Amino acid sequence: MLQCIFLLSDSGEVMLEKQLTGHRVDRSICAWFWEQSISQPDSLKVLPVIASPTHYLFQIVREGITFLACTQVEMPPLMGIEFLCRVADVLSDYLGGLNEDVIKDNFVIVYELLDEMIDNGFPLTTEPNILRDMIAPPNIVSKMLSVVTGNTSNVSDTLPGATSSCVPWRTTQLKHANNDVYVNLVEEMDAIINSDGVLVKCEIFGVVEVNSHLSGIPDLTLSFANPSILNDVQFHPCVRFRPWESEQILSFVPPDGLFKLMSYRVKKLKNTPVYVKPQISSESGTCRLSVMVGIRNDPGKVVDSLVVQFRLPHSVSSANLTANHGTVNILADKTCSWSIGRIPKDKAPQMSGTLVLEEGIEQLQVKPTFQVGFKIMGVALSGLKLNKLDLKNLPAPAHKGFRAQTEAGQYEVRS
Amino acid sequence: MFTQFSTTAENFSKASTMVFRIGTDAHLYDDPDDVSISPLLDSKFDSEKCEALKRLLALIAQGLDVSNYFPQVVKNVASQSLEVKKLVYLYLLHYAERRPNEALLSINIFQRDLGDQNPLVRAWALRTMAGIRLHVISPLVLVAVRKCARDPSVYVRKCAANALPKLHDLRLEENASAIIEIIGILLNDNSPGVVGAAAAAFASICPTNLPLIGRNYKRLCEILPDVEEWGQIILIGILLRYVSARHGLAKESIMSSLLPNIFSSEKSSESDTDYFEIKKTYEIGIQDPELVATVSRSYLAGPDKQLLNLNDSDVISPDYISSRFTSSKSDENVKLLLQCTSPLLWSRNSAVVLAAAGVHWIMAPMEEISKIVKPLLFLLRSSDASKYVVLCNIQVFAKVMPSLFAPNVEDFFISSSDAYQVKALKLEILSSIATDASISVIFQEFQDYVRDPDRRFAADTVAAIGLCAKKNPQVANTCVEGLLALTSPKTVNSTSGSMDDEAMVLIQAITSIKDIVKQDPVSHENAIIILIRNLDAIKVPVARAMIVWIAGEYNSIGNIIPKMVPVILRFLARGFPSESIETKYQILNAAVKVLLNSKEEDFHTAKSILNYVLELAKFDLNYDVRDRARVLRKLLSCYFSSSGPAEKPDNNEIRLLLAEHVFGDKTKPSTKTVNNRFYLPGSLSQIVFHAAPGYEPLPEPCSLTESDMVKGLEEPAQAEADDSDIDSGSLNEEGSYYSEDSVTTSTGIDDESAASESDNNDNNTDSLINFSDVSKPQEGTNDLSELMSKGALESWLDDNDNDNRGSSQNVAERIPSARISIGDISTRIKPKVYTLLDPTYGNGLKVMYKYSSEASTISPSLVSVDTFFENCSSEPMSKLSMSNEDSESSDQGRYIYLSI
Repeated sequence: MLQCIFLLSDSGEVMLEKQLTGHRVDRSICAWFWEQSISQPDSLKVLPVIASPTHYLFQIVREGITFLACTQVEMPPLMGIEFLCRVADVLSDYLGGLNEDVIKDNFVIVYELLDEMIDNGFPLTTEPNILRDMIAPPNIVSKMLSVVTGNTSNVSDTLPGATSSCVPWRTTQLKHANNDVYVNLVEEMDAIINSDGVLVKCEIFGVVEVNSHLSGIPDLTLSFANPSILNDVQFHPCVRFRPWESEQILSFVPPDGLFKLMSYRVKKLKNTPVYVKPQISSESGTCRLSVMVGIRNDPGKVVDSLVVQFRLPHSVSSANLTANHGTVNILADKTCSWSIGRIPKDKAPQMSGTLVLEEGIEQLQVKPTFQVGFKIMGVALSGLKLNKLDLKNLPAPAHKGFRAQTEAGQYEVRS
Repeated sequence: MFTQFSTTAENFSKASTMVFRIGTDAHLYDDPDDVSISPLLDSKFDSEKCEALKRLLALIAQGLDVSNYFPQVVKNVASQSLEVKKLVYLYLLHYAERRPNEALLSINIFQRDLGDQNPLVRAWALRTMAGIRLHVISPLVLVAVRKCARDPSVYVRKCAANALPKLHDLRLEENASAIIEIIGILLNDNSPGVVGAAAAAFASICPTNLPLIGRNYKRLCEILPDVEEWGQIILIGILLRYVSARHGLAKESIMSSLLPNIFSSEKSSESDTDYFEIKKTYEIGIQDPELVATVSRSYLAGPDKQLLNLNDSDVISPDYISSRFTSSKSDENVKLLLQCTSPLLWSRNSAVVLAAAGVHWIMAPMEEISKIVKPLLFLLRSSDASKYVVLCNIQVFAKVMPSLFAPNVEDFFISSSDAYQVKALKLEILSSIATDASISVIFQEFQDYVRDPDRRFAADTVAAIGLCAKKNPQVANTCVEGLLALTSPKTVNSTSGSMDDEAMVLIQAITSIKDIVKQDPVSHENAIIILIRNLDAIKVPVARAMIVWIAGEYNSIGNIIPKMVPVILRFLARGFPSESIETKYQILNAAVKVLLNSKEEDFHTAKSILNYVLELAKFDLNYDVRDRARVLRKLLSCYFSSSGPAEKPDNNEIRLLLAEHVFGDKTKPSTKTVNNRFYLPGSLSQIVFHAAPGYEPLPEPCSLTESDMVKGLEEPAQAEADDSDIDSGSLNEEGSYYSEDSVTTSTGIDDESAASESDNNDNNTDSLINFSDVSKPQEGTNDLSELMSKGALESWLDDNDNDNRGSSQNVAERIPSARISIGDISTRIKPKVYTLLDPTYGNGLKVMYKYSSEASTISPSLVSVDTFFENCSSEPMSKLSMSNEDSESSDQGRYIYLSI
């Protein structure tokens, strides 16, 4: 089981240490770890599971903060990693983001949270709803109160009822003036288009997000019109397995607020909404590059926030790129980013220009990969359709809402 | 003016951060000791105490030692404010071990808090009290835990379960039985949350006490989907161990590769359809049965042990093994386990999914394993860190059963945002799951990867291409063409970036070509020609050396090469002094090979080239080159002796034969270096490639018998206190008198020694007892069972007595009241054998001991031990002595002479 958790800032400073068991871990392990991680070149990120001379380390990095956990005995490594991810999620939820300052400013809350989340190296309470009831998140009101009265406690003095209920994710005795529930389909499209322009992989990772503000203990049933297109699914613990196994219906008692009810995956899609066609030709030290972008299969909604990004190869010494629409930025780390926004009706956006190669190099051998970003509101490109949402066990009728959106995930075009 | 402006801007930003940080604990973290902490701690206001404690916490966070405040802090544990309490607890747990005496001051308060109305207070008190880790208070903690285990609040019961490992960690023998009893209670709890925590306690305290699980097996399976995710991970592992220990492995699963008759079809005595069915499904998915067997064996025995016992496993009788198997189709328990873990494949927690997939991998029938593929692949979309771990596990699955993942090639296509390690893993998986159908798609992908800006990854891709071509010879030609393009002068010269990176790709490309050509040199004649042509343009020493080697090695293939090679050699010989050392070696070798292979007409040319090169090498700066030249000249002296034959000498001269042998022999295919270390899926050891402390392979299948279960029910504590008594008790069906004894007197083991002579026959593993004065060692078992079937208990006891007289030294009267219950003694039930001396440390002598299944006849308070000697070396051994160190009497030593 985990013995110790360290939080490291992006400069390697140990911001927090929390010993979990009687077997104390000296913080010198962090120095060892940091040395390892800075000695690695760029592309060689440090492994998430490392065997140090004295301990096994699990580490994840979130927004510059390294979460490091140590153990000396065999345990499922994914358990350690998954727990650290959960800690990071809870902290960033509480503190409204993660960075060095915000953790130092709220170190007491971080300590209290860690103490609740893990006991003797084994996770204790990781359900955000219960944690929220036990330790109040910092907010403006409590901050002002503490300034004025100098005395507020963020530790609740009663045990949340949910700890003992059979639906531990739901706070008991909830009352909302307006009962409403919203279902969002948020989809990410992953695609790989190879150097011949062939679509070799195209799939959708989607999340059914539910934002529920319902009183009492409601029982919800959600069904899809075409569940057969789903390749695989993952559920929030609140989803009952039986109805899904038999009829592919989601039956659940929702937590309060926003949560991910289910994630799904739809494979082997045939179409992408946009096309990106890069062309690179190099000759005697210079290299001509042009990228064309356009709508391929009109999704019926506006394609927004279109961005094309790529890294200039090492051998490029300077680049001169212009676009007939949108702006082109070349950052210090040789990342070139072309933000297009919406595609205009009348013309096809195009970026072109020359790359000057370093001296002595005639031709560009390596080819950059273009990462494409876009966002389409109001449509789920996987084609998944909700059939209906039934609410039971509700004191008052509730308002139901539905939305969908698709973004680009790992959408890559090779040149 | 500008400076002024900038200062105001600075002030402004400072001010704004101040505003932002108001109300947080920022100032406490930044300057924790800007006020004196002691008076604050003694303050009567909770808010001031809080501030002091927060300052202390900040100092702890920054790594400073503030244990000197301990007495003052401990006082505050009595505070009514929950926030103060919480902060005090945080401090206390950090330092309690260092200040035990002061920590004791807080115990009374904890005791009071344990009776509090508020479950939160009770839970905190218990957690802190258990966390203090003082031996003195452990009885108090035990009482507290016992009380809290029956608390009405689920949360408190959960904390009680978590407190158990803390208590166990103090290693107090007297508590062991009580702790296990409490685990039993908590495992039986109605709340899934408590069961999860109890499972974690079970796994860390007594993972071998499987009877405890057996009692609740069905209920635990049913409750599994409702247990919280962290508990699920642990509970899945426990249930898997239980099923394999109690009911054995499934014969339809991959573990069936351990069934001996699967591979050797001529031995297939069972000709029932069932068996053929297994064999058929077997052949569908698996390409390398040897590997599967290795993997399954290491799941059972652990790779390190498995390497040692590699030969033993062949000796174990087939019946013995097949009795360890059950059917996952008909066995209710196995079915139940698979059924209740399959919905967990939909969990959002990647660790749960992997654990559930591990169960299916080991237990599910082979045709149903494909169930785990989609969930595993879905995990690749979770965080980067878990992606790596999941890929490490998929890699093993894909190697063992490539057909599983073969339809999902595109899931392993590399995205430019992947970390290098992830890319490398994906490449390896891709090359192992490539099939005839998918190979073209994969090659298309590889072509893109080769042009990736990360050159190290490109080099790995080139290596993967080589692997694929070796596996699927029909694509070898395409591969070689692609690889040759990488070595073409055009590519090599116009490369970009650092030369080292490019060199890496080039070397890898030539290595891959070399490997492919080696398989079938004749059909790749063209490739060799092209490589030799490119030699001029290739400057990287390692690459050059490799090409020269290829030229020398295949100098007689086809029609063109034999004409080319002497020309090339002449050219190389001219530039010999400027070549790098490794190229020089290869030029020397190639020149010799050409000479040995040369036909009449070329003989003179070849000879003069070699002569020239040797002459140059003689004056080389590098002594190794000089030495080689000297050796070669001596070896081939028949060519160079002044009066030597002008014609090619006869083939029968000894030196020449030697030279032919060294240079002419075609290189043997190198032995495959496969990573043979496999650990259970989802374990830490599988990721770090060594057995982490606490790693346990699956328990011996069917090692848990009905009697263990009964005994476990009666005395869960006994079973835990000494592992061995599970084994020694296996003969007793109802009573467990002797196993009890063995616990109480386990220190007395040394007082008795039973030595035995083992004649190292292949029945070794089957023999139960081998005594020095029993003439037919093997028949001891049979006698026993025969006699017992007649029910002649008395005569058996007499017989047994004789045996013991020969073995144990202090023979006394047997005790007539000895109670022995007779069960079904068969070869199936075997006491566990422990290794006393390993062959590697004992100069080939292997000594094993085990607790004899018979009760000692001298006194019920003694235990008899059987010792086996085995000579694993080829030499005879003599003067083996075995002495008793504990006993005072000096004549305990016994000498045994072995003549093997």
